Amino acid sequence: MMSSSTIRDLQRELENKANDLSKLQKDIAKNHQVRKKYTIQLGENELVLKELDLLKEDANVYKLIGPVLVKQDLAEANANVRKRIEYISAELVLMELFKIWKRSRIARKIRYSNCNKRCNLFRLGKGKHRA
Amino acid sequence: MASSKSGRETAMTLERMSVEQLKAVKEQADMEVNLLQDSLTNIGTATTRLEIATTALNDLSLRSLGSKILVPLTASLYVPATLQDPHHVLVDIGTGYFVEKTMPEGKDYCERKISLLKSNFDQLVEVASKKKNVADEAGVILQAKLKQLASSS
Repeated sequence: MMSSSTIRDLQRELENKANDLSKLQKDIAKNHQVRKKYTIQLGENELVLKELDLLKEDANVYKLIGPVLVKQDLAEANANVRKRIEYISAELVLMELFKIWKRSRIARKIRYSNCNKRCNLFRLGKGKHRA
Repeated sequence: MASSKSGRETAMTLERMSVEQLKAVKEQADMEVNLLQDSLTNIGTATTRLEIATTALNDLSLRSLGSKILVPLTASLYVPATLQDPHHVLVDIGTGYFVEKTMPEGKDYCERKISLLKSNFDQLVEVASKKKNVADEAGVILQAKLKQLASSS
């Protein structure tokens, strides 16, 4: 019978759509985690930069590399932290864009599947009439 | 004034929600409250650590050059040593950077960090109490709705 096969088709389609949706949602959750990590790092780096800015020119700055403290130029340390902040900020902006893109995809998916469902139900109703 | 008005507004919107929606709202609010609570405890521990550092610095500044001290190599192993320089300290400012500071500068650093944490703590307490109010309100309305449902059926 036609309507039973269409129902099966519809079910499969719905399942696929649901899977896609949950995958997208998982992506967003993961993205959120990473973003949280980066935001924390950004905050820490900003604190460090503030601290470095407060120092006098001749202050001794050390960088912890593994278990060793290595003496570093204040200017170099400053440049390093600035670079890091720049990089992390750029990454955060990128992730924000990524999130918006994913969101829009989800919205489109939901709208699309809603419309599809309605059309299919309509088709089904017609099929039943005929049957 | 504004906050009480917005509070009434949220109550109104909560009243209009279905039981499922209310449940979701309550869950969300509870989760946020827990998260904020965790942050508060984290800030608390950080503050106590800095306070310990401050007392340690104060202690150290009272010692004179060449006084005997025991340095912990592990949690249970100490070796005797003499104090070489009681006027300079190495401060960990985060992300692997250490800065050599004089004693007053080190104390100043600790104090600054503590006051920063305190102000953050106060802000967070405010946010957390607001969230908690929302969660409680949602819980009360949810209970009322559930009771209503139970009595009507």
